[in-house]
Amino acid sequence: MSWSEFLDKYQGPLIDAAWTTLRLAFVSFGIALVVGIIVVSFRVSPIPPLVRVATWFVAFFRNTPLLVVFFLALFGLGDLGLVYDFFPTAAVALGLYTGAYMAEVLRSGINAVPQGQAEAGRSIGLGFIQLMRLIVIPQAVRTVIGPIGNLFVANFKNTAVASTISVLELTGQSQRMFNDAAAGVWRVLIVITAIYLLFLFPAGYVFRWLDARFSIKR
Amino acid sequence: MTANVLIEELGPRGQRRVRIGTIVALLAGALALIWMYVQLSNNGQLEGARWTDLFDSGTLRFLGEGLLATIQAAIVAGIIAIVVGFALALMNLSNSRIASALAVGWVELFRALPLLLMIFGVFFIDTSLARGRGGDAVLGVFWSVVVALVLYNSAVLSEIFRAGVRSLDRGQTEAAQSVGMTYWQTMFIVVLPQAVRRMVPAIVAQMATLTKDVSLGFVIGYEEFVRRGAGTPNFGDTEVTNFQAYVSVGLVYFILVWAMAKLADWMESRQRRTPQVAAATEEIESELALGDSLAAGP
Repeated sequence: MSWSEFLDKYQGPLIDAAWTTLRLAFVSFGIALVVGIIVVSFRVSPIPPLVRVATWFVAFFRNTPLLVVFFLALFGLGDLGLVYDFFPTAAVALGLYTGAYMAEVLRSGINAVPQGQAEAGRSIGLGFIQLMRLIVIPQAVRTVIGPIGNLFVANFKNTAVASTISVLELTGQSQRMFNDAAAGVWRVLIVITAIYLLFLFPAGYVFRWLDARFSIKR
Repeated sequence: MTANVLIEELGPRGQRRVRIGTIVALLAGALALIWMYVQLSNNGQLEGARWTDLFDSGTLRFLGEGLLATIQAAIVAGIIAIVVGFALALMNLSNSRIASALAVGWVELFRALPLLLMIFGVFFIDTSLARGRGGDAVLGVFWSVVVALVLYNSAVLSEIFRAGVRSLDRGQTEAAQSVGMTYWQTMFIVVLPQAVRRMVPAIVAQMATLTKDVSLGFVIGYEEFVRRGAGTPNFGDTEVTNFQAYVSVGLVYFILVWAMAKLADWMESRQRRTPQVAAATEEIESELALGDSLAAGP
């Protein structure tokens, strides 16, 4: 099979697969941000049961293989009467998984704000909300840009695991092409690698730039 | 105690709010558990036989072999990845431009690709070469999984080694050179013995991630733990369904990886008792940030 025959046959499926990967990466990362914010607010709250729930949530997702998380989402949610398509299931599973790491990143950001900052805020009479809005969050966000960038990249790579629950993204598409002997194993590998790097190198570059531009180095 | 910057000691009004919040949270949690119980039992997932059949001796052996296969792949891949990662770090830190360019290329490429794609890649290259020769595959599923894990983890570990070496005070190198040691003597007699000790917790944590990632061998048919779990509902005469299989596989996997992560935490907290080492550990961590150790799982 020549390159032009290869492209004739696989251009359409590759574009579809790349689009699916992109959508899954962004949707799941959006879910991860929301989940991370909710979990970390539980984690730093003064209410013991919420702290416990947040701690176990994070421990569960950090110490269980993503593959098992996907299978549990597929079968477990089904048994709970929550049946969705493959794509939403994958997006939620990946979002929860990355969300647990997100919560840890955000927590480290909050803990990186020196205690004296909060004390100073309180001493001039700021309430809790004002303290958060004016003092803690602006500093916390600036320290976590780099780690959030790393999470984005890791989450993007982890979309590959969605192929195990029938989401036809880039890695799933690569499997189909690997099974087509005429397509050529090396050609498939090079094309898929190139597409991933095309997305991931610029993403890494953007996050490094943001980090250099806005972060506070302590 | 809530040890974070946000909350100071609570007054009577705050304490009352916390009490109300606790009660509301407990009620919500109880409702969620009841709802799950009702849904699961309506679907028959809580029936006794579906769970007790997991403990049939045949099923237990079937799953146990899978667990052993997972541990075996993790140990083999872990040891090779540590050796290769170490070599990459030495290449990276060496004065040879070619060696360090090769190491940087390796690290950047294999850290950027999904591990699952690498597993497919190694496996299908192996089988297509075998087809071309008309012979058997050289690697087979076990070594395909191991090779892919080594490619990825050696890249991550080399960054850990590099950060460890860089975290050492420059005075150490300078002192070694001032007594006339060569580059390699400095490395092996002075720098590495100190640096390696600092890296141990990060290496153990990476081994926990590697153990999680062995599960991806599932996709090319390596009979590891998750694959055996997936096979359990069809294994012999059993009532077990996917739900029970994945819950129990997940639970065992969780305990295994959690224990390794706890070990890493414990080692790190012991090291933190020495102030200089604590500072170095912080440096290693901030340099690696979090995402790097997030294969199919930070």
